[in-house]
Amino acid sequence: MDFTLSEERKMLQETVGKFFNSNYKNINKRSENVNLPEGYSKEFWKESSDLGVISALVSPKFGGLGGSGEDISIIFELVGKSLCVEPFLSSAVLSSTVLSSISNPRNDLITDIIEGNLLISFAHCEMNNRYEDHYIETNAYLKNDEWNINGTKSFVMNGDDASKIIVSARINGDVNDRDGIGLFLVNNDQTFKRPYNTIDGYRSTELTFENLKGELLAKDENALKCIIKANSAGALALSAEALGIMQICFDLTLDYLKTRKQFGKSIGAFQSIQHRMVDMMLEIEQVKSAVMLASSTFETDDLTRDKNISAAKNLVGRVGKLIAEETIQLHGGIAMTWEYSAAHYAKRLIMIDHLMGDSDYHRDRFKFLSGF
Amino acid sequence: MVIKMNFEYSEKDENFRKEVKDWLNETLPKSLSEKVKKYQRLTKEDYEIFMNNLTAKGWLAWHWPKEYGGTGWNAIEKHIFEEEIIKASAPRIVPFGVNMLGPVLIEFGTEEQKNYYLPRILSNEDWWAQGYSEPGAGSDLASLKTTAFDKGDHYLVNGQKTWTTLGHHADKIFCLVKTDLNAKPQLGISFLLIDMDTPGVEVKPIITLDGEHEVNEVWFTNVKVPKKNIVGKENEGWTYAKYLLTFERTGIAGVPYSKSALNHLKMISKRSLKNGKPLIEDPIFSSEIAELEIDLLAMEIFNLRTVSAAAEGKAPGMESSLLKIKGTLVRQKTTELLRKALGPQALPYLPEQFDEGWNEMPVGPDYAGPIAKQYFNMRKISIYGGSNEIQKNIVAKASFGL
Repeated sequence: MDFTLSEERKMLQETVGKFFNSNYKNINKRSENVNLPEGYSKEFWKESSDLGVISALVSPKFGGLGGSGEDISIIFELVGKSLCVEPFLSSAVLSSTVLSSISNPRNDLITDIIEGNLLISFAHCEMNNRYEDHYIETNAYLKNDEWNINGTKSFVMNGDDASKIIVSARINGDVNDRDGIGLFLVNNDQTFKRPYNTIDGYRSTELTFENLKGELLAKDENALKCIIKANSAGALALSAEALGIMQICFDLTLDYLKTRKQFGKSIGAFQSIQHRMVDMMLEIEQVKSAVMLASSTFETDDLTRDKNISAAKNLVGRVGKLIAEETIQLHGGIAMTWEYSAAHYAKRLIMIDHLMGDSDYHRDRFKFLSGF
Repeated sequence: MVIKMNFEYSEKDENFRKEVKDWLNETLPKSLSEKVKKYQRLTKEDYEIFMNNLTAKGWLAWHWPKEYGGTGWNAIEKHIFEEEIIKASAPRIVPFGVNMLGPVLIEFGTEEQKNYYLPRILSNEDWWAQGYSEPGAGSDLASLKTTAFDKGDHYLVNGQKTWTTLGHHADKIFCLVKTDLNAKPQLGISFLLIDMDTPGVEVKPIITLDGEHEVNEVWFTNVKVPKKNIVGKENEGWTYAKYLLTFERTGIAGVPYSKSALNHLKMISKRSLKNGKPLIEDPIFSSEIAELEIDLLAMEIFNLRTVSAAAEGKAPGMESSLLKIKGTLVRQKTTELLRKALGPQALPYLPEQFDEGWNEMPVGPDYAGPIAKQYFNMRKISIYGGSNEIQKNIVAKASFGL
């Protein structure tokens, strides 16, 4: 067994880490990016591309330089540590996963994504489909050899700034059928957009389509497989992001416990507080282990991949709540303030459990995939 | 000995409940309760409308003895009153003047102070703020550093208070200040009343993690405070501060808040879909709701036992601390399950939604907007008013003899 990173990956971690740190210097810098018209820094996104960060998320088979589970985890742990709001998840992971998993992979589009010239968002969520991969109300029908798409997609990350959108839509069958789903590529200039920021500072959009023309990318079994793979890749990325956030939360809290003095000593001197820090440390090690396992089996068969990713994301949901709440409670009032970074880390950590399946969803999926 | 227990309210209590309910129905403006229900930002005037109504009815000083203009209610009546105003979605009664300072002045104030300040509290002429916490004195309140030096006819005050709730509306602030630097921490503290418009007082907003402005820093730079503004004796302020902190607070468990949140949770769980079916039909999620309801059920009886003992004149001791701990945990759990029930619908955050008169289409169902914000905001309740850790210290010290 060997649980250490290869020399190449260590270098990737170091280079990207330095680059993120130099751009995301502090929480005010992040707020500046959040408040830009697109909800993120286009400049930073372009620089990320130039440095090869996006390429590191895509397999060499499709023109990238990475794309393994470990690569995704390394990059997203760093995304978490800096609380980056750029479209790493929406465009670089979700959309590129779909475009590389369809029967005729679209290397042309993936290359544009890697080079930072094209932003594509993945529009699968709907107001009522919670975290399901097949429950789809948006529909598509064929008329005069053209696909027409109607419906509304919700919580589309970076759906306002993306120039193209991948849309999941129902071609036939019932809203809850696993068959009859299609994936379409549409231009985003003809959609109705309602952009907003999420409570943790990320740009999201409601997208409505009225007889919008789309290009069919995949249908039926292949389409569902692509959706599941994209959602699993997203859940893995978010799990690694959460791990990065947890480590920062732990460090900030420990640092505060050492410097904050009450009753004539540092509050970290109290044994009851020390025990709570040990609980946090222990659970973070658990998360780290689950993320490592999920990363290592990302390229194996679908069942093993999804089972281990569900295990990681379920644990991340449960431990994330513990770490976010304890970080605030052990700090006290100071972590309730906007000015202090811990509040923003805690918010993101909690809201990660509202993306790509919460702890309950992944517990159920783990049970199903394990044949309970 | 056979004890016959009775868990019912008496007819007299029920009549009282109806009286409170009817009065709220008649006098509380619908537009105001709607704002409270939607978690919209309340203006100073919003609070004042409700408090002036209470003044007119003679119910504002519900904790005070009758001879000072209070209601003279017993603990059960106070409990019913508090339950009904929360159920009616009234703005909260700003507690700093009427519920905190009032009882201290009644107990320890001079006749002159009582005659001057109490009527002004009763008429809502003065908006008070609380000047206790400091950046270096939170859980360890006695380590406060704001100083007040005797300069003959006045005290000269320097220092900084923090977490001053609604201090940006306040006309006056009661402060704990250090008057003897050489005494042991708890012995050199005095209780001082300060006009906010005195030169040298400055209020700075603190924006909380939900982006809202409710708390403030209050800075004092060479502020001259007349000597007559001291409450009780110099260097004995800690006694009065403790009296204020342990002052009978029937509502400490927040039972009515949790009850209304639980109802809200059940409604949302019926409307949220999981795989096309109502979430409440999910056996695991509904079990979580059931266990929360069981906790709340037990806590309500725990609270009533304490209230009932208080009505018979027994001062609650460690029960207040235990109820504070459990009450905050249960209330936080309601906000957690509400957030979970929404799924991804908890993500969108439209700050303008909390402005008065906002009537655009929300993103998602109309109940979704405030849920995540409320979850994060409610992290404060296990921190303020003596953190849950401090409450545990109090209970352990007072009851175990270890």
